[in-house]
Amino acid sequence: MTPTTTSKQGPGEKRPTAPRPTAPRRPANAAPGEAPTTPRPAPAAPTPTTTGAGATDDGSPTTVVPPRVPDDGSPTTVVRPRTPEGGGAPPAARGATAPAPSTAPPALRPGTPTPDGGTTAACTPAPAGTGTAAAGGRRAPWRRPRVLGGAASALVLGLAGALLLGGGGWPAGLTVDLSAPLDDANQWVLDNRDTHPLFLYFLLHLSNTAVDAVNAVYGVLAAMGWPGVLTAGVLLAWRAAGFDRRGARVACVAFGAFALCGLLGMWDATLLTLALMVVAVAVAALLGALIGLAAGLSDRVDRALRPVLDTMQVLPAFAYLLPFVLVFGTGTPAALFCTVIYAAPPMARLTALGLRSADPGVLEAAVSLGANGRQRLWTARLPLARRRMLLGLNQTIMMALSMVVIAALVGAGGLGEEVYSALSTVDVGKALAAGIPIVLIAVWLDRTTAAAGDRLGATAPRRGLLHGRSAWALAAGGTLAATLAGLAFGTTWPRGWTYDISTPVNRAQDWIVDHLSTGVPLVGGTQVWSDAFTVGLLNPLRDGLQWLPWWALLLLVAALARLVGTWLSALTATAALAATGVLGVWTKSLDTLSQVVAALAVTLVVGVLTGVACARLRWVERWLRPVLDTLQTMPQFVYLIPVVALFGVSRAAAITAAVVYALPAVVRITAQGVREVDPAALEAARSMGASTRQQLFQVQLPLARPALKLAVNQGVVLVLAVVVVGGLVGGGALGYDVVKGLSRGEMGTGVTAGLAIVCLGLVLDRITQPTARGPRP
Amino acid sequence: MPTGSPTGNTRPTHGPRPPRGARTARARRAARTATAVAGALAVLALSACGAAETGRSQRAGDTERTVTLTVPSWVGAQANTAVAAYLLENELGYEVRTQQLGEVLAWDALSRSDVDAVLEDWGHPKEEKRYVEERKTVVSGGDLGVTGHIGWYVPKYFADAHPDVTDWRNLDKYAEEFATAESGGKGQILEGSPDYVTHDEAIIRNLGLDLKPVYAGSEAAQITAIRKHVAQKKPFLTYWWTPQWLNAQVDLVEVKLPAYREGCDADPAKVACAYPRTPLRKFLNADFAKDGGKAAAFLKNFTWTTEQQNEVALMIADRKLSPEAAAEEWVKDNEAVWKTWLPK
Amino acid sequence: MNTTATTPVFGVRNLWKVFGPRADRVPGDPLLADLPQADLRARTGCTAAVRDVSFDVRKGEVFVVMGLSGSGKSTLVRCLTRLIEPTSGTLEIDGDDVLAMDGSRLRELRRRRAAMVFQHFGLLPHRSVLDNVAYGLEIQGVGRAERRARAAGFVEKVGLAGLEHRRPGQLSGGQQQRVGLARALAVDPEVLLFDEPFSALDPLIRRDMQEEVVRLHREEGRTMVFITHDLGEALRVGDRIALMRDGRIVQLGTPEEIVGAPADDYVRDFVRDVPREQVVTVRTAMRPMRADDAGNGPALPPGATVSEAITAAAHGGGTPVRVVENGRCLGVVDPQTLLGVVAGVTPPAGKAAA
Repeated sequence: MTPTTTSKQGPGEKRPTAPRPTAPRRPANAAPGEAPTTPRPAPAAPTPTTTGAGATDDGSPTTVVPPRVPDDGSPTTVVRPRTPEGGGAPPAARGATAPAPSTAPPALRPGTPTPDGGTTAACTPAPAGTGTAAAGGRRAPWRRPRVLGGAASALVLGLAGALLLGGGGWPAGLTVDLSAPLDDANQWVLDNRDTHPLFLYFLLHLSNTAVDAVNAVYGVLAAMGWPGVLTAGVLLAWRAAGFDRRGARVACVAFGAFALCGLLGMWDATLLTLALMVVAVAVAALLGALIGLAAGLSDRVDRALRPVLDTMQVLPAFAYLLPFVLVFGTGTPAALFCTVIYAAPPMARLTALGLRSADPGVLEAAVSLGANGRQRLWTARLPLARRRMLLGLNQTIMMALSMVVIAALVGAGGLGEEVYSALSTVDVGKALAAGIPIVLIAVWLDRTTAAAGDRLGATAPRRGLLHGRSAWALAAGGTLAATLAGLAFGTTWPRGWTYDISTPVNRAQDWIVDHLSTGVPLVGGTQVWSDAFTVGLLNPLRDGLQWLPWWALLLLVAALARLVGTWLSALTATAALAATGVLGVWTKSLDTLSQVVAALAVTLVVGVLTGVACARLRWVERWLRPVLDTLQTMPQFVYLIPVVALFGVSRAAAITAAVVYALPAVVRITAQGVREVDPAALEAARSMGASTRQQLFQVQLPLARPALKLAVNQGVVLVLAVVVVGGLVGGGALGYDVVKGLSRGEMGTGVTAGLAIVCLGLVLDRITQPTARGPRP
Repeated sequence: MPTGSPTGNTRPTHGPRPPRGARTARARRAARTATAVAGALAVLALSACGAAETGRSQRAGDTERTVTLTVPSWVGAQANTAVAAYLLENELGYEVRTQQLGEVLAWDALSRSDVDAVLEDWGHPKEEKRYVEERKTVVSGGDLGVTGHIGWYVPKYFADAHPDVTDWRNLDKYAEEFATAESGGKGQILEGSPDYVTHDEAIIRNLGLDLKPVYAGSEAAQITAIRKHVAQKKPFLTYWWTPQWLNAQVDLVEVKLPAYREGCDADPAKVACAYPRTPLRKFLNADFAKDGGKAAAFLKNFTWTTEQQNEVALMIADRKLSPEAAAEEWVKDNEAVWKTWLPK
Repeated sequence: MNTTATTPVFGVRNLWKVFGPRADRVPGDPLLADLPQADLRARTGCTAAVRDVSFDVRKGEVFVVMGLSGSGKSTLVRCLTRLIEPTSGTLEIDGDDVLAMDGSRLRELRRRRAAMVFQHFGLLPHRSVLDNVAYGLEIQGVGRAERRARAAGFVEKVGLAGLEHRRPGQLSGGQQQRVGLARALAVDPEVLLFDEPFSALDPLIRRDMQEEVVRLHREEGRTMVFITHDLGEALRVGDRIALMRDGRIVQLGTPEEIVGAPADDYVRDFVRDVPREQVVTVRTAMRPMRADDAGNGPALPPGATVSEAITAAAHGGGTPVRVVENGRCLGVVDPQTLLGVVAGVTPPAGKAAA
């Protein structure tokens, strides 16, 4: 007990009283200098889902998911955070290229993080009910047993009930079938889209405009020819990053990216994808900025929008692709609008966050000078939010890129189509050749926007030919010159300048599969592990969940959520789980849930260990960084085949795909969290002679708790984001249903399964993310 | 301490008190707002003025000389499209665009004339009823000439070793051999992509078989799994179909299910018979069929055999030729065949 | 100190600012209004940051509001331009009722009549020094070229010439506050409000800045309201000082009055360590001329401080120093009197004269 606290709490226990600490709203990536504040993800953070917080500050994770903005703490998302702020971002972070593919988002909860630091003293007796414990972030020790006792008794009760009453699924009487109304809506659209004014005077204009815009951009790119596009890409990167050494590095990345796209024989497909991305990102950024503006200026709008943004990001795109196709038509329009929906939330979140976190001192100064609302917005709030908005743009770009392949499903063409058609011939090499340009474009845009972000407002603008407007003119002039040169030279990528990687890649794949799949001495091989994992862990988990009576499971979830959060979170988690039953997909949801839980466990164990290694050993980090970048941006479709080849058509394959996807974010967030632990605390430990191990376990990991929480949150979001992909390799359950809904035109099936995935996300978020409780009276 | 208060106001005055700037700024602001509002209204008005063209193609650059074909996800159909596209471009002078689409989406696109023709359809009664019979936006383009068949297959090496496995009544005997970690003690039947028509769950239930369908989720995953089993010479049972290019690489033997009789698959829940043989059909957009001139006529004439399709499919899947190159090669060697397709 | 009969720049009467639920019931309720802060909070959940404050700020003076943190002084200064809305009371600027102003008149007030300098500067990090200084003019709607030209003059005036194109992040704290000062001056306000402007600065720089303010005041005679928690600073720059505690003004007077005649123990405690000889003037310390006083000792004006008199007396070899105004001798201070002031034993006699 610290002498200074007067409370009667147990030693060392300080109970936070603080009224919601709201933590800071920082975006996820804050600059290193900024303290990371919040760890939880809540909604806002850019981080993915959850946590928002930050994501880490600065971190970079690239991740994926959309971040939620932190504002409030809740993070949800993630997304990769690169942080633009701070130039000092740890390399890791910046590196990320993030792409997040999925970004998912979600934030599912907006909670506020509780800092552990609350000091207050008052201890209120916990109401201990059964099953509910009140617990908060940290609990006084004497409360813990009661809380655990409550949870345990709920569990025992549930088990006993199950034994006495028999297990069983969700009662059929309690379901609501969404398929009929959805199919009716589907039919209505089909019947009316050629005649109804809504379509004739509005929606069709939208889709025609979308087509025209993409075509116009493609037309320009095609007219520029490869020399023009290559030069433009390089000069744009260079100019945005500043005409200096760092800029030169970024320009080299741009050059390499474009040249490789051409070398791989993907030049035309790359241009098509680029055209779609330019329009999609422009629309998503504009839409996101407007939404963010509204949410940043009004608390009510912010609260109302948060669940909408979460749903936009967690609901699998497969689930809403079909209605979009029906309304907007196949090809560009549907692909564009789906991409916009998926990519706009990070921009909205980060814009709102930027507006909300503007320095109050500056705003007050503006008011004191008599600025009216509009002047404050334009001269102070928006400029102050620029960096966060740029981070939002970065995230939006990454998310949009992650939709490239899905867009191809509805006929958008481009690199996605190449990937997809390679799948039909089971040609991993060709899929990889199309996937690499996607990674390269992501890296190019990530580095460019990140460098631009680091430069923003950092120093006084330099003057001279290479700065300011004249530099843009210079870049434009260079592009023009290259374009003209290209006209002489030929605008299409020279045929001879391509290299086919498909054959060597396929050969390498076959070799790897032959040698790793079975019969490896001692360790067995991937197929052996896959079977053991399925039989030893997945089957019991799934069967156990499905065997438990539905009410026992609800009770269990409520108890768990109450243990880590508030009554409200218990209620939300329970309602979300019940919703899957009501939707009529109880059994499938539990199957998916068991896979998600297993994937999450694997991701966290591997991710945290790797993250700690990265934080402690520079070289590990250096070597892993490009790998992580690639894992995050590479479309999952590219590695479906190797995964199946190694692990068979199985849930283990689906879990592997999920782990591959979610791992980079977890590694980055963990590494960042461990690395950014207050150096003073570490120094103090070292000065007392703590060993490396002691430093790690007694100082770094405990202090990195917020980051670890964020990692869990992101893990949940990202794993859920690939449930659908899991369905493509044998995961079955909800993921398969979502795909089936799209491919068979059964809107009810797809949307229902999609909503169930959103519900699972809520459940997992609530039972893994401790919330701060509100102030107690 | 300076205590004296200044007697005069020494403030420099810059400009008139209400500086001109204020007024102009206000005016400018008002003007800006007005412009923005006017602009927004103008856009709305413009777009409201005219209804959008509903039938407009979603791909740009389409002209009357452009034909859009879908490219389904399986190789056989890619072969159709590649050959048709090659001939349309090189013999008839059309420009051909191809669009990759799921089957149901392709039907919808066909109906809105986003695509002009689907060259291989395995039977979509619901869509056919909706678009061909009710809305009349799609018309049949005749048979492709290829017959599709779905069934249950085991690898030849396994059938050779256990000849009786090809009768469904004996499948239970081998359930254990087909079992995997995923099938939980029952025999596993590997299912494909959710696109495909399947009654397997009903068949298993109605025939009382000790099997469990495991959904690969995609054709690529299914093929990969089959290849893997074959490489290890392991027994497996799979939902499969012909024509399929993989059949040329892997010998599969069909398991005989109770024979198909007309109507035995009418109620999906009660199916207990084999899948029918399906003549694959072509469908055209109604307007295109009417006004598509030589292109439409050509596509209606386009018909070839399973073997011919397989030949092209193998070039694509096995030799990794691009569809265009494969089509070119086939066209060169089979002039007699395609000459008959050209409209007179 | 000459008091002019003109309307005060700020006339504040019975001003209250209460934070919390249903704050407006507090000022009107005598039971609540007199509760100590802690009790008020316990009873109503409200905090009264400013309680029943009344004062006038006269044209041309430097009016200092001094108090420890939490005394309500920053809230008070924000109430003057309604950056924080007062709960009750009246507030006039040049006779205009500030509380009755609508949004646009209030903005006009902020744009042209009162400009504020903040503790944490409140500069726009993405703009150059010049554009920061021109910011107030921009808000007024002054065109770009004109405002930049005008701003350039003020940049020079505060000693930042040559740094116009730097960003605030590249300046030291003192330089940043000069930018803040120039920004406030650039709009040519009738009154400057300073909210603890120098407390974030190093002591040496703080001193420079204080002198800068004194110099500006001397040159331009602009009315200033200056918030500080530093007594030394208050004494150095202030013509009159309002000392606040728990939201109330506990004493309002000249530095000399505050130091010489603390109103209560709190104030006394506060000023205990102040070197009185630097604050007390000879007008206060002098005694009437006696017959035995030599008529030829050193002479000082009545506004000179005791410490100046000590210097004069020391140079004069110990003879009493005459206090002369307009050629008339008002009295003398002899070493005895001076020592008494330094030691704090002589109650300043001339209190009433102030």
